[in-house]
Amino acid sequence: MSNYFYVSPEQLIRDRAEFAQKGIARGRSIVAAIYDVGIVMVAENPSASLYKISEIYDRIAFAGVGRYNEFDRLREAGIRWADGTGFTYSRGDVDARALANFYAQHLGDMFTEGQKPLEVEVLVAQLGNQSRETKLYRVAYEGTISDESRFAVLGGDAETIKGRFAAAEDHLEPLSLTLKNAVGALAGPDRTIDVSDLEVGILEDRGNRRTFLRLNDEQVSEYLR
Amino acid sequence: MGLPLFSASEDPGPSFFHFAERTGLTTNALDHSMSSPHATTVIALRYDHGVVMVGDRQATGNYIASRDVRKIEPADRFTALAISGTAARGMEFIRMAQLSFEHYEKMTDSALSLEGKANYLSPIIQRNNLTTPLIVLPLLAGWDLQSATGRIFEYDGAGGCYERFDFATIGSGSPFAESTLRLGFSTDLDLEAALDLGALSIYEAGDNDPSTGGPDFVRNIYPMMVTISVNGFQELTADDVARRFAAINERRTQSGGVAGGSLR
Repeated sequence: MSNYFYVSPEQLIRDRAEFAQKGIARGRSIVAAIYDVGIVMVAENPSASLYKISEIYDRIAFAGVGRYNEFDRLREAGIRWADGTGFTYSRGDVDARALANFYAQHLGDMFTEGQKPLEVEVLVAQLGNQSRETKLYRVAYEGTISDESRFAVLGGDAETIKGRFAAAEDHLEPLSLTLKNAVGALAGPDRTIDVSDLEVGILEDRGNRRTFLRLNDEQVSEYLR
Repeated sequence: MGLPLFSASEDPGPSFFHFAERTGLTTNALDHSMSSPHATTVIALRYDHGVVMVGDRQATGNYIASRDVRKIEPADRFTALAISGTAARGMEFIRMAQLSFEHYEKMTDSALSLEGKANYLSPIIQRNNLTTPLIVLPLLAGWDLQSATGRIFEYDGAGGCYERFDFATIGSGSPFAESTLRLGFSTDLDLEAALDLGALSIYEAGDNDPSTGGPDFVRNIYPMMVTISVNGFQELTADDVARRFAAINERRTQSGGVAGGSLR
């Protein structure tokens, strides 16, 4: 014998949203910010091998918060999509907006139709060139996509961190200052984050096709000095 | 293309080739009647601090199809890939290899070892060569970061991969290039000697094999010369290459076209 109870769609959505938010809030946040000549992504991550920030393509990077296995699968799908698209057409045809849209569709589908919503938020960052703009696309757990103008914060504590970063920086600064502000916003006034617990990736033109660079602890310390 | 998500049991892993197969990005022609341009002679030889590669620039069908083909390409910073055989398949092969190495690196956050790259190419060559007459035979050379040596890998038609500790040649002019290398090679060549010997071997191939392009002093097109060392893949400048081939040509003119003797 089974009983079916009526649950209103509003209630269903609320429950699912609450479930996803709770999952995401358990992890640490990520700040991504545009600086004068690039994009920096900063995560608080005690693991030195389970990355939250990764290279997707020549000028595109990925960042994810929440459940690692869920966003890592999205990261892999993103690399495959980008390499497959570049192989079929050309490297210049790989666009971050298209990828962000795919993520949004998938997260939206999982939110409404999946067994459970994905407990993740992802960011697709694109370093601009002559034909494309520098962009930060943030995709939330239910598939909402937003195009952030200067910086984006992912994770449970996003609103507070957003406020702190916005107060510290109101226009494009060099990398060292933007990185300092991002770390300060993540840490808040009452604590400091050890360099070994920071994961930092940048997108910047260095004369190579591939613009992504993972900064090691020494490089991060140097910038934060 | 949609977002390529796979379940854990279906996942193609970090291999771009297997992913491309799965999603139909690659195709396999089965036309046995086609005649398509062939790319011709490339050599690789080891010197004391790396590998030198030299390749001619001509693609030949029933006539000369192109005079300025680049048959040696960096597969990544420390690896060079050269092709002989069907030009179209070779170019696709280089693209697939370059992308596969980069794809692996992005997926796993670590670079493939040189031996890993060499082995990875075997089944791709095997599949191509055993299913189509559009044969492609590559040559892989790289700086092995783990052992800090330059290494050369050659392939047979069925995809078998063999490491060569001296030198390797591919393409229609390889008998002539090979002979030159055999007579000139020693295990203690320095960079300059290796470059000169490599250039001479391609000169001989161009001189004897109708499908291999020698130095073209009229159009200023010269064979491609690269080094792979601790500094990665580096291509010699056009002026440097022109100078080396002009010197060989000068000696050959003095000897009245005779290849042997003191002017060699």
